[in-house]
Amino acid sequence: MSYAYLFKYIIIGDTGVGKSCLLLQFTDKRFQPVHDLTIGVEFGARMITIDGKQIKLQIWDTAGQESFRSITRSYYRGAAGALLVYDITRRDTFNHLTTWLEDARQHSNSNMVIMLIGNKSDLEARREVKKEEGEAFAREHGLIFMETSAKTAANVEEAFINTAKEIYQKIQDGVFDINNEANGIKIGPQHSPANQNMPAGGSGGNQGGGCC
Amino acid sequence: MDYFRNMLGGPQGEGQTPSGAETVERLCERVSSSTLLDDRRDAVRALKALSKKFRLEVGTQAMDILINVLEQDRNDAEITGFTLDTLYHVMSNEPTDEEDTSAPVDSDLGGQFTEIFIKKSDNVSLLLSFLEEYDFHVRWPTVKLLTVLLTNRQKDLQEIILVIPMGVSRLMDLLSDSREIIRNDALLLLNQLTKGHANIQKIVAFENAFERIIDIIRDEGASDGGIVVEDCLLLLQNLLRNNASNQNFFKEGSFVQRLTPFFELESENSNKQGGWSAQKVTNMHLLLQLVRTLVSPNNPQNQTVACQKVMNQCGLLQELCSILMASGVPADVLTETINTVSEVIRGSTANQEYFASVLAPSTPPRPAIVVLLMSMVNEKQPFVLRCAVLYCFQSFLCKNEVGQSQIIQTLLPTAADANSITAGQLLCGGLFSADPLSNWFASVALLHAIVENHTQKEQLLRVQLATSLGNPPVSLLQQCCNMLSQGGKFQTRIGLLMVLCGWLCDCPIAVSHFLSNTANVPYLISQVSSSEGEEHEAIVQGLCAFLLGICMLYNDDKSEAFSKSALKQVIQNRIGLESFTDKLTQVAQNENYTRAAKKPHLYYKHPNEIVFDYSFTRLFKSLENEVLKAVSGSGGAINGRTLLGGDEDQYKALLREQEEVLSGLRQQLEEMQGQNSASERRVAELTDQVQQLRDQNALLKAHKGSQGTPPPVAASPSGASAEEVESLQREVDSLRSQLTEKDAQLQASAAGGDEDKENNPDGGAVLQASLARLQGEVASRDQEISGLKAEVTRLTTELQQKSTQSAEASSPESDAATAELQSRLQASESQVAALTEERNSLQERVKKSNEENLKLASNVRTLEEEKQNAGGDLREEMETLKKEQDDLLVLLADQDAKIDKYKTKLKELGQEVEDDDDDDDLDDDDDDDDEGDAD
Repeated sequence: MSYAYLFKYIIIGDTGVGKSCLLLQFTDKRFQPVHDLTIGVEFGARMITIDGKQIKLQIWDTAGQESFRSITRSYYRGAAGALLVYDITRRDTFNHLTTWLEDARQHSNSNMVIMLIGNKSDLEARREVKKEEGEAFAREHGLIFMETSAKTAANVEEAFINTAKEIYQKIQDGVFDINNEANGIKIGPQHSPANQNMPAGGSGGNQGGGCC
Repeated sequence: MDYFRNMLGGPQGEGQTPSGAETVERLCERVSSSTLLDDRRDAVRALKALSKKFRLEVGTQAMDILINVLEQDRNDAEITGFTLDTLYHVMSNEPTDEEDTSAPVDSDLGGQFTEIFIKKSDNVSLLLSFLEEYDFHVRWPTVKLLTVLLTNRQKDLQEIILVIPMGVSRLMDLLSDSREIIRNDALLLLNQLTKGHANIQKIVAFENAFERIIDIIRDEGASDGGIVVEDCLLLLQNLLRNNASNQNFFKEGSFVQRLTPFFELESENSNKQGGWSAQKVTNMHLLLQLVRTLVSPNNPQNQTVACQKVMNQCGLLQELCSILMASGVPADVLTETINTVSEVIRGSTANQEYFASVLAPSTPPRPAIVVLLMSMVNEKQPFVLRCAVLYCFQSFLCKNEVGQSQIIQTLLPTAADANSITAGQLLCGGLFSADPLSNWFASVALLHAIVENHTQKEQLLRVQLATSLGNPPVSLLQQCCNMLSQGGKFQTRIGLLMVLCGWLCDCPIAVSHFLSNTANVPYLISQVSSSEGEEHEAIVQGLCAFLLGICMLYNDDKSEAFSKSALKQVIQNRIGLESFTDKLTQVAQNENYTRAAKKPHLYYKHPNEIVFDYSFTRLFKSLENEVLKAVSGSGGAINGRTLLGGDEDQYKALLREQEEVLSGLRQQLEEMQGQNSASERRVAELTDQVQQLRDQNALLKAHKGSQGTPPPVAASPSGASAEEVESLQREVDSLRSQLTEKDAQLQASAAGGDEDKENNPDGGAVLQASLARLQGEVASRDQEISGLKAEVTRLTTELQQKSTQSAEASSPESDAATAELQSRLQASESQVAALTEERNSLQERVKKSNEENLKLASNVRTLEEEKQNAGGDLREEMETLKKEQDDLLVLLADQDAKIDKYKTKLKELGQEVEDDDDDDDLDDDDDDDDEGDAD
């Protein structure tokens, strides 16, 4: 049960692109052809190993519908990684990526790792968005890119794990402030003897002290 | 300050006190018009001072001005703080000591001002933006103001905050504030914020709420901590209750493990203090409720199972069990701990096994289960504690066949151990105690030891009880029945009836044991047929009806007196179907029933509320309809399991029967068709005969016509010439022929005429006879057809029944057969229709031939008359003809002589003369003709 790091993910993207199915495939290793519409946000978790270290992934699967946008925005800030998903058989979901990206960049911390995912790669016959287009979009915006199929599980593991690798690398590079939990990263219990002694909310301690 | 003092003090000197409203008005004017920040700040401070006493005035007049100050003067922490405080006082409904208690206060004045304030959601955004300000004078009143706004208009404010970007997150950050007072007030705020709003709960959890709250609890000393711990626990409750996603997160985040240390009791500590503080009791209650929230039977199954597993692994269950056995624990905490342990072990094999192994620290050590059962059947123990023990016992036995057999084992004679107290002894003691509540508890506990466990139901039948000295032992089942029939308190009887129902259900052996005592069924009958309408009695009657129904459902028909059909007869005759149904259905309509059926936990406050057991309500629900069907159903197999198969057989038999009927009908149809063709042939014959008769008739008429003209008598005595001879010969010939004809006719009219007379009527008679026969046949066929029709209608109704039955049975086989049957039926119906048509046409034909017959008969009659007339004429003619003949004969003789003379003369002259053979031939031909006519 112990882990070296805990990463928080969010999954975002238009409604019906397969966000919940990706999560279900990753956490339960199964596919559900008929999935209920996600209301608000649902939670899922799984343990993975990177570089010999146990890493716990806590994943919040958000509702794609516009009406839930104000709720889902609240999750950007505390996430270390985001999976931005579109549906390769629906051009409009690809076209909306810019909006999603703007939203994410605006509300999240700047170091959040974003993985662009073209889902439903099993439906090659109905493809509307070329893989090259996805790659180009990712390159342009500095994202990692992958095409997946929640149905056949192709690349699903890789999508989550590669995102974790990227975050892990950023930690190694000292980009992330691992002591600020608002970044969506937590050090495991055995790794952080000093963590509990840190003042939790001392962000503005130097301002106008005299009180009461 | 001076100005302020003057302003407040001034009016006192003048002797005329300005009203609060006036002062507020002047202050508002100053706030809005002053250009100096200091002036505005002073005015707001004054408003703040007045805002408690003159809430209404400040609220109505200053609201907009104050909001304006918040926007304009936000850089000055002091004026912002005063403004926020003023608004807080206006909105707060909390009574303060400064408030003028005599003044009439609108109970929800704060709520109304809140409504006005949040009408512009920007105002809430503005408040949230103040949270960025670290200054205590700003942050703290902001937190208080937001809290009071949330308290007053929770739903509206939740929606507003949810939509504000980072709104929830900013409130969550308050938990990290190093100043305790802000953190503590933030807890209150978050409690209001998260109440009943799953989405906000999730966001708060996402913002590491669990981690932070549990840290606070730990830092505050856990259950020994103060009210802050209570607030933290309430917040945790809020975040987890009915929120599966957060529960999952809580479990996945390994927070369950972090709860374990909070349940560790330092025994020497509590002993020292000599008891628990009220706060500790509250904290412990909340901690226990938190655990129950995670493993509630109403949660999704997999969620509860996963949490139960974790709780066993991380030692939480062990801590709970040690509280159970610890001394000095207040009764209500103990009760809640028992309830918590119940839900942690419910349905989880590993946890149940651990619980069974827990020993109480007594001498000698006894299993915890036994110790708990002792409390359950002890009427001196608090009622809620006894309920909790029963719940714990039920949870221990839930889906636990091993546990059930262990309990039953202690009742069996082989395992009897006189030295130690066993669960079985305690249950028996409770069952036969004088306390009705103990009876009820013990009955229900016993019910759970055998529920859904066939083996234990049979094992329990072996239990024999020793009665008073000298009497033979009596079986437990019989003892229960005896107690039941002795009356007793309501709860005693309900408990016994429930355990009997559970025992007999799905256990034919137990049923036959029950029926073997002939007093049992009559008792039940007398109860059910009783007309006492009191609520409790109605429940008893309903349960007795249910027990009767179970006796029927699981009857192996070994006892003749109380076989399935016999019981059915008895129920129908002695109680009546309607009354039985009424009594039975009353049970589920009882409010006690609905309450018990809601959840397994026994959440009763008063002993009188206890009536039904949760698992019994489930049993009742599953069998109620089957019982009703068995009692009212139209015979057939009713043993629960074979019900369906029996139905199928029934349908098959019905189908076979109907097929037989159909083939019989088909045979009848063939016969009738044969008869029909025969009668058709006969009709054809008859028409032939009629035709013949007509022909004869025509012939007779013709004869009559020919007879009407007398033969010409042409006898001219001519000279001796060949011509003369020839003509004479011709005449003779015709005469001869006429004569023979006449002779024949005379004969005919003498005999043949009679014959003719008789012949025709005879033919008529034959016709009539055959007609009569035909009519008879037609009538009989009519009958057959109507019979057929009746059968056809019967078949159709049978078919309809069957089709509905088969629709119920939805057996494709019988459906197909039914369809076939129907088509066959249709075919036979059309055949019958064709037959009826044929019959009709036959009848018509018969009618026609009847008419023809009548006509013929009249014809024959006229013919006869004609013949008679003709007969008279003929005789006269005959006589004249005879005379003429005589004359002619004489003449002929003369002429013969002459002819001979001429012949000889001619011979002499050398001429050959022919013989008169030809004449004879001609005569012969004539005779032939006559004979043919006579036919």
